[in-house]
Amino acid sequence: MRNDSTQPPKTNHQPLLRLSGVGRTFVMGEVSVVVLKNITLDIRRGEFLAMVGPSGSGKTTILNIVGGMDRPSSGSVLYDGQDLTTASNRELTRYRRDEVGFVFQFYNLVPNLTARENILISTEIARDPRDADEMLRLVGLEDRAEHFPSQLSGGEQQRVSIARAIAKNPQLLLCDEPTGALDFETGKRVLRLLVDLNRDLGKTVVVITHNAALAAVADRIVHLRSGEISELTENPHPIAPEEVVW
Amino acid sequence: MVKALNLKLLREVNQAKGLLLAITSIIAVGVTCFVAMQSAYHNLNDAKIRYYRQCRMADFWIDVKKAPVTELELLRSVSGVGELHTRITFPATVDLENVPEPLNGQTISLPDDPTLVLNDIILRQGGYFTRTRSNEVILNDAFARAHRIYPGQWIHLLLNDRRQELFVVGTAISSEFTYLLGPGALVPDPQNYGVFYLKRSFAEDVFDFQGAANQVIGRFTPELAGESEATLRRAESMLDTYGVFSATPLRLQASNQFLENEINGLGAIATVVPTIFLAVAALVLNVLITRLARQQRIVIGTLKALGYGNAQVFLHFVKFGLSVGVAGGCAGAVLGYAAASGMTEVYRNFFEFPDLRSELHWSILTIGLVVSLICAVVGSLHGAWSMLQLQPAEAMRPEPPTHGGAVFLERLTWLWRNLSASWRLALRSVLRHRIRSIAAVFAAMMGAGLLVTGFMMVEAQNYFLNFQFYRTMRSDIDLTFKNEQGRDALDEVRRLPGVDHAEPQLAVAGTFENGARRRKDAIVGLLPDARLTMPHDSQGRRIPLPDTGLVVTRRMAEILRVQPGDVLRFTPVKGERRTVEASVAVIADSYMGLTAYADIHYLSRLLGEELAITGAQLQTRQEPSQLARLHHELKHLPGVESISNRRDLVANITKTILQNQFVFIGVLVVFAGVIFFGSIVNSSLVNLAERQREVATFRALGYSQWSIGAMFLRESFVTNMLGALLGLPMGYGLMWLTAKAYENDLVRLPVISAAWVWWSTLALATLFALAAHGVVQWRINTMNYLEALKVKE
Ligand SMILES: Nc1ncnc2c1ncn2[C@@H]1O[C@H](COP(=O)(O)OP(=O)(O)OP(=O)(O)O)[C@@H](O)[C@H]1O
Ligand SMILES: [Mg+2]
Repeated sequence: MRNDSTQPPKTNHQPLLRLSGVGRTFVMGEVSVVVLKNITLDIRRGEFLAMVGPSGSGKTTILNIVGGMDRPSSGSVLYDGQDLTTASNRELTRYRRDEVGFVFQFYNLVPNLTARENILISTEIARDPRDADEMLRLVGLEDRAEHFPSQLSGGEQQRVSIARAIAKNPQLLLCDEPTGALDFETGKRVLRLLVDLNRDLGKTVVVITHNAALAAVADRIVHLRSGEISELTENPHPIAPEEVVW
Repeated sequence: MVKALNLKLLREVNQAKGLLLAITSIIAVGVTCFVAMQSAYHNLNDAKIRYYRQCRMADFWIDVKKAPVTELELLRSVSGVGELHTRITFPATVDLENVPEPLNGQTISLPDDPTLVLNDIILRQGGYFTRTRSNEVILNDAFARAHRIYPGQWIHLLLNDRRQELFVVGTAISSEFTYLLGPGALVPDPQNYGVFYLKRSFAEDVFDFQGAANQVIGRFTPELAGESEATLRRAESMLDTYGVFSATPLRLQASNQFLENEINGLGAIATVVPTIFLAVAALVLNVLITRLARQQRIVIGTLKALGYGNAQVFLHFVKFGLSVGVAGGCAGAVLGYAAASGMTEVYRNFFEFPDLRSELHWSILTIGLVVSLICAVVGSLHGAWSMLQLQPAEAMRPEPPTHGGAVFLERLTWLWRNLSASWRLALRSVLRHRIRSIAAVFAAMMGAGLLVTGFMMVEAQNYFLNFQFYRTMRSDIDLTFKNEQGRDALDEVRRLPGVDHAEPQLAVAGTFENGARRRKDAIVGLLPDARLTMPHDSQGRRIPLPDTGLVVTRRMAEILRVQPGDVLRFTPVKGERRTVEASVAVIADSYMGLTAYADIHYLSRLLGEELAITGAQLQTRQEPSQLARLHHELKHLPGVESISNRRDLVANITKTILQNQFVFIGVLVVFAGVIFFGSIVNSSLVNLAERQREVATFRALGYSQWSIGAMFLRESFVTNMLGALLGLPMGYGLMWLTAKAYENDLVRLPVISAAWVWWSTLALATLFALAAHGVVQWRINTMNYLEALKVKE
């Protein structure tokens, strides 16, 4: 479906991201917890990748590493051939600012800024940002622009968080449970938005979900279990968001 | 560029405005002190430099008994001596018609025609001498103002035993008398002491000084300015045959000494006090910003995840501090300028300048602002920095609980077991939040230190007054005779109306020497049972005059480096000028002037002379009618060189000092209050914010708001009292330094404490703590604890 002619040809020669042997161990005082072991995964340019797995399996940890927000304890992460593990803090900041849009699992809105200002805060430093009000309209919150996070419901906050990520117009969109707090109507609408970004604008999208039904819209599905990839499935016939049985 | 981030800043500054205001006021007070004192310092110093230049202030004064002008002019040949000017100067008694008592004054000769001289005058009213008459006088302006005397009027002076009528042609000021003191005075008293400039020709006639003078003032040549002491010594020895009473370099000239002292003391305090405030502000700010950055851990993580660099996030938090710094700095600059104007106005009452103005010193305002910004930024650095060390992923997770770890006090099992549970809770919290507690202790220490210093200053002044004027020198009127007189002069004085009691004095001016150390001053001979001058020791006990040997005052002993038992050489200025040796019997305490006392009979014997007296001290009745008669008689008493109304003088000093004390204590308490209050409110509110959930839980469990308030009060009480206690010795030290900074040959302040100093400080510290707690309690009472239970931090 996504291989039709309306879309720029996917150059599959080189993946956008290449994780090889990535491990992550957290040290807390005397104990250390191994959260990721030997993850090897290519994320292809322009693909829609879903990541599923039980709670605590390490999904957010991988996404953080991919998004340049955490450094792996072992292995390497190449973005467009550039090694993120040896990048300086400054280079990582630039990577996060210019390449990545992140939807946080817990929304992470700045409490003292309104919905619109929470979007502005990310567009103001972006290279090629999209219009904040336009983004609010896309997520159906145009009449909530001046509300503070504490005046928004969980689902509304989540949508502001999504608007904030896509407003940067990034190449890589990383979404941690983007529909976790949404009812199925709104959830489908958000999913449609992500699919459109992927299909129409060629953005690479990685979505974490523990709802296997949602994963059916993805090109590929990574299954995580206890910090390891237990399964990597191709989905040659992704379904449309509207067809998802919630 | 990052507008949204600034909006966040604005809103958060607005939310924390109470706390930021508390810190702002601490900074503002610091900057106010800095700007006020530095500006006053420069106003005073600049005015001094201008004034000295304008009047061509001399570098030295040499007083002799009498010498031919031609001989005095020979001093020019002394290498290092530049310009010279000779004068005739004598004390005078002033008889004003509308003033019952005789007043004191000094006459100084000036050339008949306007000439460029050293220690020149600046005319304020009227003009210079004319050719019309010889008996013309120019008054010092303050005296003329005080008595409403204007050019064109006549006044009467007792000069050389003759009542002279003098025509006032003008009033003037001179840099020589910027701080004009009569004998024995401490503050200028224009009501009772004046300077009278006479024509040189008139002075020569009146004092029989044709072709002679008794004072030479001069300047050192710039090339040999470094060796001025030696030059002065050479000049002095050249005039030896004419009896040198004193050779005073500018450094030791009374007016200059008081002025310099004020300027230098101001300069020293102008850095110490502001530093205290700014250090407290920086620490308190650190506590607040650390709390803010902690609280915003997740926001920081998010901003970094969105692509904000460390520098941008860092700057954002530093801006909190900057806003405080800018506000405090600006407020301080404005208030400081106002305070400087006030201080300068006060100085105008003490120092007479042609143009002492309160000027706007841009450089000082700028430094004040910059220093406050630096202090604010330094205060924010630590807090803002701590959160940047984390990777964004880490920052976005809730903070791991702080290590409980065994608290040091808990190891003191015995002590710990005897504490109630609530005190243990308070102590644990105090010890766990180390930085916050240190800031609170430090602030309380500085606040208490300031109070102690100020209170000790007051105590020192009161002790000084009491010691110097009510215990050591207790006469009502002091007379100085023109020439040495016999015993019968005293009997005559005793017979004056209204005199209850009179005691003789024999003051012998001369040079003290102990090895290479020397000093010109006087030995005062007293009756062994004198009760109008009673030297005391440092314990406040009366020192009985020894049969032989000297009682040397402390400062003098320090200058000459002598101790009881040492032998001093003394060469009188007058008479045969035979050098004698006298042993130091006791050191007396004294806070004003340099003197040595001796039994009058011993002193006469020592000098190999008949018993003579040079002055008398009187104790008088207080009934106005009696006094009026006495004053009338005194105005016409021949042979009297000067009359000093010590009662008026002491009343004037006491009034001036007490007036200033009142203002001083007021300002001090307000300043200390700002430190205490600001710091306690800040640390308690930060504490409260961090423990909102705990408090809410206590509330939900049924604790009353008052018992919760008590939890916080206990904590602030521990740090505040600890700090206040530490502040006591610190304040003592600060007072010691201040006393040293202000000490000179003429005056020094005793460093003494009294119980009230300590109690008042601790009582005020407690009072401020309770006042600050009022704010905290109010916050607890109005807190929505259901909300607090819900918030996820
Ligand atoms: N900074 C850290 N320190 C210690 N342990 C951590 C840290 N970050 C993650 N972990 C642990 O790593 C494991 C994986 O966490 P992660 O957040 O990746 O799980 P997840 O798959 O996203 O789970 P969920 O579906 O609940 O969000 C968890 O057990 C978590 O407690
Ligand atoms: Mg997760």
